[in-house]
Amino acid sequence: MSIFEDRFHLGPSDFTDVLETALSRGGDFAELFFEYRLHHSILIEEQIIKETAESVGLGLGIRVWSGDQTGFGYTNDLSPERMKKAARSAAAIAVAGGTPSPPAAFVSRSPLAGLYPVAEPAVSADLGRKIALVREAYEAALAVSPAIKKAKAAWGDYVQHILIANSEGLIVSDVRPMVKLTCTAIAEKGAVREYGFSGGGGRTGLEVFVSVRTPAEIGREAAEEALLLLEAADAPAGEMPVVLAAGEAGVLIHEAVGHLLEADFNRRKTSVFWNKMGARVGTDLVTIFDDPTIPAGRGSYAVDDEGTIPRRTLLIDKGVVSGLLTDRLSAKILGRPLTGHGRRQDYSEIPIPRMANTYIAAGPHDPEEILRSVGRGFYAKRLTGGQVEDSGKFTFSVSLGYFIENGRLTRPAKQATLIGTSLGILNRLCMAGTDLEFGRPTGTCGKEGQHVPINDGCPTLKISSMTVGGRG
Amino acid sequence: MTPGAAVDDLKSLAERFVLFGRACGADEIEVGLGDDTEFEVDVRLGRIENLVEAGTRSMGLRVIKDGKTAFAGSSDLTPETIEGLIRNAVRRAELASPDPCAGLPDSFSPAVDPAGLDLYDPAVAVLDPAEKIRLAMETERIALSDSRIVNSHGSSCHTHEGVSVLSNSRGFLGAYRKTFAGLNVGLQAGETDDLAEDFWFSSETHLDALAGPEEIARTAVARTIRHLKPRKIETQKAPVVFEPLMTGQILGFLFGCLTGTAVYQKSTFLGERLGDRIGREAVTVIDDGLLPRGLGSSPFDSEGVPSRRTVVIENGVLKSFLCNTYAARKIGASSTGNADGSGVGPGNFHLRPGGDAPEEIIRSTAKGLYLVRTLGQGFNPVTGDISLGAFGLWIENGEFAYPVSEITISGNLGDFLMNIERIGSDLIFNGSICGPTIKVSEMQIAGRS
Repeated sequence: MSIFEDRFHLGPSDFTDVLETALSRGGDFAELFFEYRLHHSILIEEQIIKETAESVGLGLGIRVWSGDQTGFGYTNDLSPERMKKAARSAAAIAVAGGTPSPPAAFVSRSPLAGLYPVAEPAVSADLGRKIALVREAYEAALAVSPAIKKAKAAWGDYVQHILIANSEGLIVSDVRPMVKLTCTAIAEKGAVREYGFSGGGGRTGLEVFVSVRTPAEIGREAAEEALLLLEAADAPAGEMPVVLAAGEAGVLIHEAVGHLLEADFNRRKTSVFWNKMGARVGTDLVTIFDDPTIPAGRGSYAVDDEGTIPRRTLLIDKGVVSGLLTDRLSAKILGRPLTGHGRRQDYSEIPIPRMANTYIAAGPHDPEEILRSVGRGFYAKRLTGGQVEDSGKFTFSVSLGYFIENGRLTRPAKQATLIGTSLGILNRLCMAGTDLEFGRPTGTCGKEGQHVPINDGCPTLKISSMTVGGRG
Repeated sequence: MTPGAAVDDLKSLAERFVLFGRACGADEIEVGLGDDTEFEVDVRLGRIENLVEAGTRSMGLRVIKDGKTAFAGSSDLTPETIEGLIRNAVRRAELASPDPCAGLPDSFSPAVDPAGLDLYDPAVAVLDPAEKIRLAMETERIALSDSRIVNSHGSSCHTHEGVSVLSNSRGFLGAYRKTFAGLNVGLQAGETDDLAEDFWFSSETHLDALAGPEEIARTAVARTIRHLKPRKIETQKAPVVFEPLMTGQILGFLFGCLTGTAVYQKSTFLGERLGDRIGREAVTVIDDGLLPRGLGSSPFDSEGVPSRRTVVIENGVLKSFLCNTYAARKIGASSTGNADGSGVGPGNFHLRPGGDAPEEIIRSTAKGLYLVRTLGQGFNPVTGDISLGAFGLWIENGEFAYPVSEITISGNLGDFLMNIERIGSDLIFNGSICGPTIKVSEMQIAGRS
């Protein structure tokens, strides 16, 4: 039984009542999205536990379709009157006078099993236990070197209960866990100061900080990155071959390809890819998937925010556009299959097509061989995010890179933005390593003001030429 | 319920939670409540895509016990939920560490009269949804009537009306109402594999100040088509002229480096520069939380400290950091009324305009980049290093020659402030961080080799 039935005493007859109100003006589909989220956070800096926080997010978002038009209302008061008021706001999209059709009888759907392996749930863990983990990361960062002058370690965990009930009779609920521990370290040498970052977590329990990356490793990584940057030169400026490190450089795929294959940009024909289904857009090495079903993945979910069971979706197959990430609305308009990528930040937002865990498949090349093939170029090691516009122009920011000279990494380099166009980059992806891995699970993607957790990955990749925007 | 009754209702609820917190053992407690109504219509290609209408309440609180702090928040305002959160917060505070700088502000005076700030426009609150739909439809229709525009990201009209209430155990009780109205459109021009895109908008607290569909549409069209047929320029160092929105973006970076929080955390390259010359003589940066009708204005901040006008940089000299109570105590300063949740936020943070017409600044540039849009988040506050994807127009002999894209600009914010050569007269407050057109003498541009 979901928390909405158990704790808020809402049952199928309440859902039917609200759906009836939502369809009262003749809309042709209505959906309820209930959310209860409990979030905890801890911050340690300057040797002390500076603050802890607990927050509750409770609400209901109601969506009504009239053809391809959406009406939406939400409330955080789950009394019958307030729910019906929100339903009437959503119903306003339909032209009054249409014949209301009654919602179908509910048939319960099961979310995918096994996506949230949790041995030690964060939501019920003792606060003292979490504080110990945060402190371990904080102290490990400071212990690396006297040059580490400041560190900050932050904890966040939540559990998100959702229940979706729609007028087609679908009813499904899910309980999604999340843990995240991040550490920032600041290193100082004379007047030069740099910062490093690391983190870990996922849709799992506290055991991830034993089995995958310990808090001490997270703290040390942040400190070591800051120390390395103290010695780093300005990144180069201009066009040159670029090698992307396995793992974090997946953000390139996220920006250059993933967003442009979200179906809303394609139904609106604003994406540079809208007329390229089945067309070649890159080299044979470009095979890209989005997979919401990776156990414990930061971007994973057992059912999407519209009630669709998600599946791994092939986006680009050996350079040829093969799929789109769809939500219900775009799948309906485009006549494409539902892939389970309808996501929303919370109950107060309309679901839109989003990525989950996006990656480029491993290729045939030995990572060492990829480096050796570059006479002079740039190696992108740590990335801090990027941005793309529908035309395919994109950037991503590199916080730590290296100069490549004669096939070897030489000096570390700091702070560069790399810029390109999707079609340009995919056609210049000339080597792909065997070493596929995912980046550190701390990423969040923003689109139309909505933020959702995601992850991405890639093997070592070589782009034959790309513009690197360092200070020269 | 009338708006006045809603305010009184929230005030008594906040006071009740403060009393409950004290009864639970909190030495100090602060409770903020919000009641917000939002309306949004998104239209695209002449049809409504989304129509959103909702009302919500929210709560944020802080308790202090033995110099230890805990926060809580909720969108569920039922007393049992809030009281549970308060009890938990008092218990959690005991697990935190004592901090001599923690605690509520010492003073809440001189109080600012919300009426004088003129932040609430009844015309926004009562605007008919049909009129909002018409504004968005009309804006897009005018833009699409230009044959060079090939597609639309859509036009949106957004209104918001909110009440903010704050009560604390030191006896502060305040409330104010604020409205917001926004209208925007995003466009595409060019061919599928060579698209250009841009947008324009208007954001105001008052309806009579909101730009009309004609002005927004024409501006968006002009901004979009000027990107058509871009070239990629060679890697070089050159002067860069920043459009007002771009100046605002750099000022956003600067704001992040001038908070007391960044100073005590050592996460700003300007932390030890108080009293130093950090910019050209002409550079004066002000945070004015009392600007009438300002999007960033409020009578008091999220701790109840009165908002104020703070001169942050005066004639190039760093005069003040912006602080909440905690950051102020950490760096030995006073709160500047900039508390925003548990952090520090801007009032109306802006670069004081100069005397040059923007056209004159462009004419003064023999060769350089006119920056109109950036892509990416390439700023490091610890070092001041900037690196961003860039779109703009290339200036030759004081005139626009051709658009440029797929380039990056980079530099350091410290150098940037010293290199501001010209400051335009064209400051418009369309956000909480704004600036006029400016010209910097030199930045690194990466393009073709």
